[in-house]
Amino acid sequence: MKFNKLSIGISLSFALVLSSCEKVIDVEPEFAIEGTQLFKNLDEYQYALTGAYALFRQTGYYGSGGQTTGSWSTLPDMMSDNLVQTGEDLANWQAQTNFVYAADDSDIEIAWQAAYYVINQANVVLNNIDQFAEIDAERVNEIKGQALAIRGMAHFDVLRYWGEDFDRNSSKLGIPYRTTPDPEAMPSRLTVKETYDNILKDLQDAETLLDGISLNSANNRAYIDQLAVQALLARVSLYAKDYAAAESYSTMVIDARPLVSINAFPGIWTDATAEEVIWAVSFSAGEGTPSGGVHVASSNRNRFRPAAPLVAAYDQVNDVRFPAYIGLRQSGNVSPPRTIYPGLPEVIGTNGSPITRTIVSKFIGRNGALDNVVNWKVLRTGEMYLIRAEASAQAGKEAMGLADLNALRAARINNYTNVTLSGQDLLNAIALERRKELFGEGHRWFDLKRTTRTLTRPDVVLGSTVLTLDPTAREWVWPIPQVEIDANASMASQQTTGY
Amino acid sequence: MIKVFNRIIKFLCINIVRLILPDIILFTNTNKQKLMQRKLLIVLVLWIITVGSTIAQSQTITGKVTTTDDGSGLPGVSVVERGTNNGTSTGVDGSYSLTLSGTNAALVFSFIGMTTQEIPVGNRTTLNVTLGADARQLSEVVVTGYTTQNSREVTGSVAIVNAETISQYPVGSFDQALQGKSPGILVQAQSGQPGAAANVLIRGRGSILGGSQPLYILDGIEITATDFSTLNPADFDSFNILKDASSTSLYGSRGANGVVVITSKKGLAGTTRLNYTGQYGFSFTPTNPLRVMNSNEKLDYELMNGNPYEWTDEDVARLRTINTDWADVFFQTGHTQNHTLSASGGANKTTYYLSGSVFDQTGTVINTGLKRYTGRANVETSAGNFNFGINSTFGYSEFTNTSESNTGISTPLNAVRWANPYETPYDEEGNYTAIYSGQPNPLQELLENTNVRQQLKGVGNVFVAYTVPFLKGLTLRTNWGGDFTSYESTAFVDPTTASGGSSVGGSGSFGRGFERNFRYTGTTSASYTREIGTEHTLTIGLFNEVVHGKRRNFGFTGYGLGGAFQNEAGITPGTTTNGFIPAVRGGGSENALLSYFTNINYGFRERYFLSLSARRDGSSRFGADRRFANFGSVGLSWIVSDEGFMEGLDNIFDLLKFKISYGSSGNQALVSQDAGQNDIFTSLDFASRELYTRGVYNGVSGLIQTQLANPELQWERRTIFNTGIELATLNGRLRSTVEFYNALTTDLFLNRQLSRTSGYSDIISNIGELQNRGVELSLDGDLVKTPAFTWNATFSLTHNKNKIKKLVGGEDNIQGIYINRVGETMNSLYVVRYAGVNPDNGNPQYLTKEGEITEVYDPSDRVIVGSIETPFFGGFGSSLNFKGFEVSAFFSFVKGNKIFNNDRANIEDPAYLWDNLSAELLTQWQNPGDVTQIPNPNATFRTETTRFVEDGDFLRLRNVNVSYTLPKSWTGAIKLNTVRVFAQGQNLKTWTDFRGYDPEIAEGTLQGAQYPALRTVTFGLNIGL
Repeated sequence: MKFNKLSIGISLSFALVLSSCEKVIDVEPEFAIEGTQLFKNLDEYQYALTGAYALFRQTGYYGSGGQTTGSWSTLPDMMSDNLVQTGEDLANWQAQTNFVYAADDSDIEIAWQAAYYVINQANVVLNNIDQFAEIDAERVNEIKGQALAIRGMAHFDVLRYWGEDFDRNSSKLGIPYRTTPDPEAMPSRLTVKETYDNILKDLQDAETLLDGISLNSANNRAYIDQLAVQALLARVSLYAKDYAAAESYSTMVIDARPLVSINAFPGIWTDATAEEVIWAVSFSAGEGTPSGGVHVASSNRNRFRPAAPLVAAYDQVNDVRFPAYIGLRQSGNVSPPRTIYPGLPEVIGTNGSPITRTIVSKFIGRNGALDNVVNWKVLRTGEMYLIRAEASAQAGKEAMGLADLNALRAARINNYTNVTLSGQDLLNAIALERRKELFGEGHRWFDLKRTTRTLTRPDVVLGSTVLTLDPTAREWVWPIPQVEIDANASMASQQTTGY
Repeated sequence: MIKVFNRIIKFLCINIVRLILPDIILFTNTNKQKLMQRKLLIVLVLWIITVGSTIAQSQTITGKVTTTDDGSGLPGVSVVERGTNNGTSTGVDGSYSLTLSGTNAALVFSFIGMTTQEIPVGNRTTLNVTLGADARQLSEVVVTGYTTQNSREVTGSVAIVNAETISQYPVGSFDQALQGKSPGILVQAQSGQPGAAANVLIRGRGSILGGSQPLYILDGIEITATDFSTLNPADFDSFNILKDASSTSLYGSRGANGVVVITSKKGLAGTTRLNYTGQYGFSFTPTNPLRVMNSNEKLDYELMNGNPYEWTDEDVARLRTINTDWADVFFQTGHTQNHTLSASGGANKTTYYLSGSVFDQTGTVINTGLKRYTGRANVETSAGNFNFGINSTFGYSEFTNTSESNTGISTPLNAVRWANPYETPYDEEGNYTAIYSGQPNPLQELLENTNVRQQLKGVGNVFVAYTVPFLKGLTLRTNWGGDFTSYESTAFVDPTTASGGSSVGGSGSFGRGFERNFRYTGTTSASYTREIGTEHTLTIGLFNEVVHGKRRNFGFTGYGLGGAFQNEAGITPGTTTNGFIPAVRGGGSENALLSYFTNINYGFRERYFLSLSARRDGSSRFGADRRFANFGSVGLSWIVSDEGFMEGLDNIFDLLKFKISYGSSGNQALVSQDAGQNDIFTSLDFASRELYTRGVYNGVSGLIQTQLANPELQWERRTIFNTGIELATLNGRLRSTVEFYNALTTDLFLNRQLSRTSGYSDIISNIGELQNRGVELSLDGDLVKTPAFTWNATFSLTHNKNKIKKLVGGEDNIQGIYINRVGETMNSLYVVRYAGVNPDNGNPQYLTKEGEITEVYDPSDRVIVGSIETPFFGGFGSSLNFKGFEVSAFFSFVKGNKIFNNDRANIEDPAYLWDNLSAELLTQWQNPGDVTQIPNPNATFRTETTRFVEDGDFLRLRNVNVSYTLPKSWTGAIKLNTVRVFAQGQNLKTWTDFRGYDPEIAEGTLQGAQYPALRTVTFGLNIGL
């Protein structure tokens, strides 16, 4: 039949003409690279390592977003007695700063995932990198050492918020430790001891691998080198109350990287100098800021201001840290003049004149710019002195602890005369010095938690601010995000005690 | 002819000037634009005339078509020489003239609703005909884009919306006008911003992560749903909304969410017809039922709650004298004007339709608006066995936007709610004030910063059809067309504003962005139609189709503005020290579809119809061996009323048709909440692949893993069963359709939750099943139908039940306040139930899962409290026509959905004491024993509870239209075909309990900064000749 022949003919010609069309749907991404085409050489591993560093800038890690602050940059100070929330903050972050979080808190979820995203990227870097060990062993060590350090460091940061205890051998709940980039893995929480075992192994391996490798220059300390790993080990050891290790690691760092001179000290905060900086996460324009949650320099929003008792604790005349950390700034012209944000020291001018508030001036920008774009100093020699001072004092070497305390103060305070302290007085003095030295750098909440102190806030602005938090409160340990529990059956029965 | 044209020009020009002149007087500051518009119109007129007059006219056969009813002349009847494209249509009085192209010709006279007549011409030069109403033949033509069928034969579910009725709605984006017009289609405005597109759902939301927007086809070419505002709806002839598997089978790769097939107007051979429609009107903002405090209330509230600003008595006394209504500061009366001029006609084998339009709408928020200019040319011609055509439209529009649907403090629409009433936008000297709370001055933000988006859009297609001479019934056709859109967006942020101060470098910014999207669709087909004997008809089509889309964009933002320029010239070059390093961006993505399909329609005794289709589709989005999938459908229809056994019931059933269909179609469109960013497009277009994107650290470029490999990802599939009855009774005066459907989406795109320790929250998987089941009813009745007076009423109702049948591992999928749970409606709200305030201590109370009252907020007490999906919706309307006067009203409604009112949460949170708050907070708990819904302000404020869940039900008077058509005796005298004047009102009244400006919220949560749908009144004129 004519019709049949024709339809067959047409079908065949269609099939012939059109089968070549199938390449129409073979399109490739041009603004991303497919994973299957990567990791064919060490350059590509290096790219991924650079990516891992970049992820430290994520909102929720060190980066501060519109409604989520840098969990490991300024949040620990906001949650403590160092900073006071003002009305200019529009009640953001109330859940964390007033400890009303439950398992469904979104910022806690963001922090959790942000840290593990860094860890995943580190694991991507470590995945099969050993295949190049024979070709270029030194470069493999260099990349691998940094990736291991990043992995250990990020896990430690997770432990700081979610660990139920900081004792080295505690069998309380720690955190899951991820060593492969497997999206299907359903890990459970290790004990605190097991978590430390993993962190220390990664950091110690990194320390070995990075031996003799130079990554940073005198002006730029953007990469984790061996010294940074040792500084991290000192910090971890202090948390773990392994005072001998803390003393030994901090000594290595102090010997290699002495304190900055008293005159050069303010330059650290505008990135004019990298002296004393061991590792700083690099921030450039357009890459967000780590401190926008405290004082937004560009729009002059003083969301959190320094707490009065801390301000009073500085020797405001002689201590170089005071002008470097704390400043005064006028708000816009408002009429009539009035106290906008009660507290100190509000300067009210005559009719129509500006109003001055106390601000955290430590992070407002480089070269006088008002954009909060400065590198985030993760590790500094100042902290190493305080670690060694505390470790020594705790270990009964009070003289050594006192010497470190006096040495640090002498490097920060003009006309400083040494003091003599012992026992609890010495420990308290070291704790106060930690607060003054590391103000705004993301330590205070963990220091209070680590030393089981009661949080009290004698100076508040907002009626909603919580005034005190008892050391036994559940809030010292963050809940595992509900979404994690929902997705990961292995953690179903491991919610943080109390939630 | 020339005389007539001169008259037309004169008439049109005078009227256009009349229409525009008042504008020039009223708004002298914009008269430049108006003059431009006038020039444009005049150019269009000339252009149309030039084209129109080139078409030769001569005369061989003339006659008049009258109705059997009353013998009056019937205008608009199609008169076509049988077997050719040669034809014309009758004029005002029913007369026609046609030059015949062949000998032994017969003329076919047809008109919708009338019996078609075919009469041999013979030797006659005059042929008069009377046409009678055809009660049985509800012979609307159904256009699916590839084929045209009589609606009688259709086995699937197709709703036809006459474009004429909605083309005059004063909305920038035509999809807004479809609301309530047809069963099964839910149209939600979302925004009243001029030009904003609506959210359209056909038969419920059939996908969770995939797109649920229908596919829009204009003259066979896919067009992008979000940029309709650069198309002129007056160019459209019809909307055919395809809802089931049988009718969408030709679009199987994209048809899962239904298809809206739009045809543009075509010319008819014969007299050149010119048509002008113009309208002018005003828009208003509705009032918000949720009142914010006035100055006295706010100051009292502040004093009651600790006086946060530490006002002195003196301050308070002074501030009480100020009372700014911020709604008055930001809202204005908007203006709309719209002019369309078209010409259509043709002769012999060539027909054309040409049009030009101007649309200018200013919004109800100051500094917002849409201006649009469009042109269209459709030309079709035939030569021998070939038939060629081109349909093309070109448009340019300019949007001036303000941000909406967010909780940003510099968003002016939030300031309407949040700014304190005791503050003013300007001080005594006329300078912008600094707002006490340190928030930006919202008026300054709106007036000093500009945000303009210009869009250029071209949609066009060309086709060639070849009627194979040696085999009757075989036609080969290829149709290629593209949808091109480019945007240029410009954002100037003034350094003196707060957002200027918070720009990089702290001194404003200027950014420009360019985006280009191009999608081409090519369809090549062979179709064969044959009648076998007298009882069988058969049509077989074989098709190949390629759809390829590509997007590219780039842009920059420069900083350090403040000089004389508000453009690129004002940017300060960045140095390492000044902080003004500009940001540069760019990106793009690409995707493609390849399809082969066949379609078979078989009819037996014009009573039984069968349609079959099968197809194979490939999408670039899926894993290498998951790209191709097969779909198909089968449909049957039966004209029961033509059966012998119905003989005696002829008087009752003019038409009784039963239809049933079953089949599947696919969805490959993934959508994202963060749409608009480059990396998002890349990740959606390459969703199956492990991707690495650029990450820079310390000035060195690296790579970040941003997407996990997903080789299993494949097509989402929607299988639809549809059955229904179409009925016409009472001599065709009552028409009714009832349909039932059951649509099951399988291989549902779902986010399978991952342990967050992977660094990722989820991965898209084809796990899950979603069902939408529903009933649709439409009624259309001519209650009174006499030559002088007609009264028509329509009603449509849809009930859709959405239900999740299967999820990943059966587990709940919770995202924020939404849950997807097996057995429940998707996007159910999952929150803790609020149980009011404890009168003893003022603490908020909640219900535990078991229903006991507690003061402890615990997420594990969350329960499902309804869904944002809409189960009932529809529309009804009526029109009266008496001797040229016509009054029509149309209502639309939705019922049963919930809305999460975050906008209200924003102003009921006592922590936002520094800003204005809901007046309801004045009733907050203060002393033991107080019975109130507002807790003590020191209690922890929780948003995610039923306290902020509201009903989304509303009934809206969508459109009222009053018009008068001048009697033909008058218009005929001045050689005009029609003259019609009209006035219409859009969204004049809404009945709802929702506490916000507008309950039309498609995505279920009102975040804040709502731009309500416009209430518009316009007056217009329509002239045809």
